[in-house]
Amino acid sequence: MNNEEEAFISDLRALRPRPPSSAVSAALARELAPPTHARRSLSFWATTVAAVAACFVAAFYFLGATPLVAPVYELVRAEQPPATIDLFDPVRLSDGTFVRPVRVRWSHQTQWEDRQTNTRLINYQPSEQFALIPLETY
Amino acid sequence: MTDAHAEQDWRAWFAEHGARLRLVARQWTRSEADADDILQEAFIRFWKHQRHLPGNPNALVITSIRRAALDLHRRVDRRVVRENLVVADEPTATWFEPEADPRLQALAGSLPALPAEQREVVVLKIWGDLTFEQIGQQLEISPNTAASRWRYAMESLRRLVTARTYE
Repeated sequence: MNNEEEAFISDLRALRPRPPSSAVSAALARELAPPTHARRSLSFWATTVAAVAACFVAAFYFLGATPLVAPVYELVRAEQPPATIDLFDPVRLSDGTFVRPVRVRWSHQTQWEDRQTNTRLINYQPSEQFALIPLETY
Repeated sequence: MTDAHAEQDWRAWFAEHGARLRLVARQWTRSEADADDILQEAFIRFWKHQRHLPGNPNALVITSIRRAALDLHRRVDRRVVRENLVVADEPTATWFEPEADPRLQALAGSLPALPAEQREVVVLKIWGDLTFEQIGQQLEISPNTAASRWRYAMESLRRLVTARTYE
C-alpha cells in the first residue's frame, strides 16, 4: 500500500456516517434498560397470582384422590447420533466463482425418568446447517 | 454459560458504533427507514442471544444485520436473490454528515455511485472494520474476490473523486 492509497483510505475513514434515527435509539434504550421497579413489581404480582391459582386448581382436582409426590427425574440417556452430510453439485454464483452447497444434519436427545410415576422427559433437538464451500478453479 | 462481556455497557457501545453499523445496514436495504429497522432488529437479536459470546462483538453484530436484511428481503420480495440485494431507490446523499472539505464532499458523493458489489466491500472494510477473510464469510465469496473488488473500488473511487473535483 503506497502513501497515496493510505491517504485515500484515511480520507474515507474521515467521513462520518449519519447516526441512526432517534426512534431507533429510543427503542434500544427501552429494550436494553434493566427492568424498572414498577415492571418488577407487576411481574412479581402476576407470577404470584398465577402460582396461587395453579395451586388451587391442582388441589381441587388431585389432592383428595392421591397424595402429591414431587417427581424425581434422573438422567437415563443422552444420545448424539452421527451427523449426516449431504454434498450437492457445485453451482456458479453471479460473481463467477464456484461453490459446493453442503448440508449437515445432527441431533441431540436426552431422557430423564421418574421411577415412581414411570414417566419420562425427552428433550430432542434436531439441528441443520447449510453452507457453501468455495471451490478454487484452475 | 459465562458472560464474556458482563461489564459491557451496551447502550454506550451502540452509541459509539451505531452510525457506522447503520451505514453497513444501508448497503443491504432499499431505504433509510429499512436500514433503521434492520439495525434495531439485528442489534436486539444480538443483545438477547449473542452478547455473552467471547471475542469482538463487531463481526457478530454485522452478521446479525446481514441476516436481518436477508429476512426482510425474503419477506418483501421472495424473488430477490442475495446477489441483487443492494438496491438504491432513494437519494443517497444522507449517508454521511455534511463535510466542509471539498475532497471529502466529493468522496461522500462518489461512494454511492460505485457498483453495489464493490461498495459493500468498501463499507464493510472501512466502517465495518472487517478483514477480507471476514468480508468473504459475510458475503459468501472468497477473500481473494473480496480483495479484488476492493482494488476495483479504489480505482473507481479515485476516478470519480477526480471527476467531481474538476467539475
